[in-house]
Amino acid sequence: MDDRLDVERLLSRIGLRDAVAFKSLYTLVSPRLMAVAYRVVQDRALAEDVLQEVFIRVWNESMPRPPGQPKTWAWLCVATRNRAIDVIRTKKPETPLSWLDNNGDEHFHDVEDDAHSPLAELLAHEDGQRLGQCMKRLESEPRQALLLAFYDGLTHPQIASRMQRPLGTIKAWTRRSMLRLKDCMEDTV
Amino acid sequence: MKWYQHPSVIDRLAASYVLGTLQGGARRRFESVMYSQLAVAAAVASWTEQMSPLLTTLTSIAPSQALWTSISSKAGIEQPIAAPKASWWQQWLAPIFAPLPAGALALGVALGVVTPALWQAQTLSQRQAVLPESYVGVLATPEGKTGLTVSSLRQGKIVELQQTKVVTLPAEKILYLWRIDKAGQVTPVAAIPNEKWGRITLAEPAEAVFFSAVELAVSMEPIGSTPSKPSQAFIYRGLCGKFWKWM
Repeated sequence: MDDRLDVERLLSRIGLRDAVAFKSLYTLVSPRLMAVAYRVVQDRALAEDVLQEVFIRVWNESMPRPPGQPKTWAWLCVATRNRAIDVIRTKKPETPLSWLDNNGDEHFHDVEDDAHSPLAELLAHEDGQRLGQCMKRLESEPRQALLLAFYDGLTHPQIASRMQRPLGTIKAWTRRSMLRLKDCMEDTV
Repeated sequence: MKWYQHPSVIDRLAASYVLGTLQGGARRRFESVMYSQLAVAAAVASWTEQMSPLLTTLTSIAPSQALWTSISSKAGIEQPIAAPKASWWQQWLAPIFAPLPAGALALGVALGVVTPALWQAQTLSQRQAVLPESYVGVLATPEGKTGLTVSSLRQGKIVELQQTKVVTLPAEKILYLWRIDKAGQVTPVAAIPNEKWGRITLAEPAEAVFFSAVELAVSMEPIGSTPSKPSQAFIYRGLCGKFWKWM
């Protein structure tokens, strides 16, 4: 995002209770944060609830932040995702993760449209190309496990259930994939 | 040896935390350590930055128009008020007296602003009419409420402290002030009194102590200790402002 520095500057101004900066930040980032929240909760109204809470917390300076973690665009995105995951984890699933239709065909709740997969969007975006290239180097199933955890907030047992793989395999996939991603990102700096 | 003393374990757990696979009690324990151990926090920040393109590159979705209204209302921010519609007689007189407000404004400016300014320039030239150059920190509680203000003259050594509410300190603990620089580096400043109005004297001028600070924070530390890093989560944290003109 080219406005990264603007976001940091606005977040600093908001710390001084600058309402104009708050409105500017909202205008600048709300469509992108809406995409982040929606990607996780898959429900427009719920995503707006998440966004509302995130912005109120930003205004009140009560967004959880580890010591030394600067207020950056990345931090704001991940904080929004975390809040969205908290929301779906406290809600009981209203639709099953997978189900059979009348013809006996199995359907999954979160089947991706290939044209708009996270990987495709990553690679299409300048900011995400490095991570996208590294993600591409992962094998298909471990990458899918990683994305289910990151985007959908699924736990290891839920991913195991979804992918019909042993829990130990899923844990190993996600752990190794993160390490491989890190190595790859460092190599491509 | 504790797990957070092993860099490889820190990195693995930070990755799981950012990925979202650290669950329940493990997640809570990790978070409590993260708020007190800078190495853990730094690993989380690093993973946050590395994984963020997965989120920042998603295709935007416009929220509804009503969302901002709701947010600004809940945040207590006033919406711009629409100008009241002119009454029938104001509308009728407007074309006749349209040129008048410009002249009236000019006269108002001359009488209300320029004259006092000239008067001040003549009679108060020796008086300092601006706020002295100062550092001011407004620190909030983890709940987002203002908890402590910290202020000092730029070249002074006295730091004034005002707590909204005196905290209940566990036995053998004191409050300790920290500065946080642009890179997130946390540096100890001094122990501070747990009083509604307090004051400390710095060993060197505030300029030397606070210049690099973008934030200030306060933690609870063991009495008599000289900590090099916070031993537990901050109880106050907020921006440190520099109140002077740069040019």
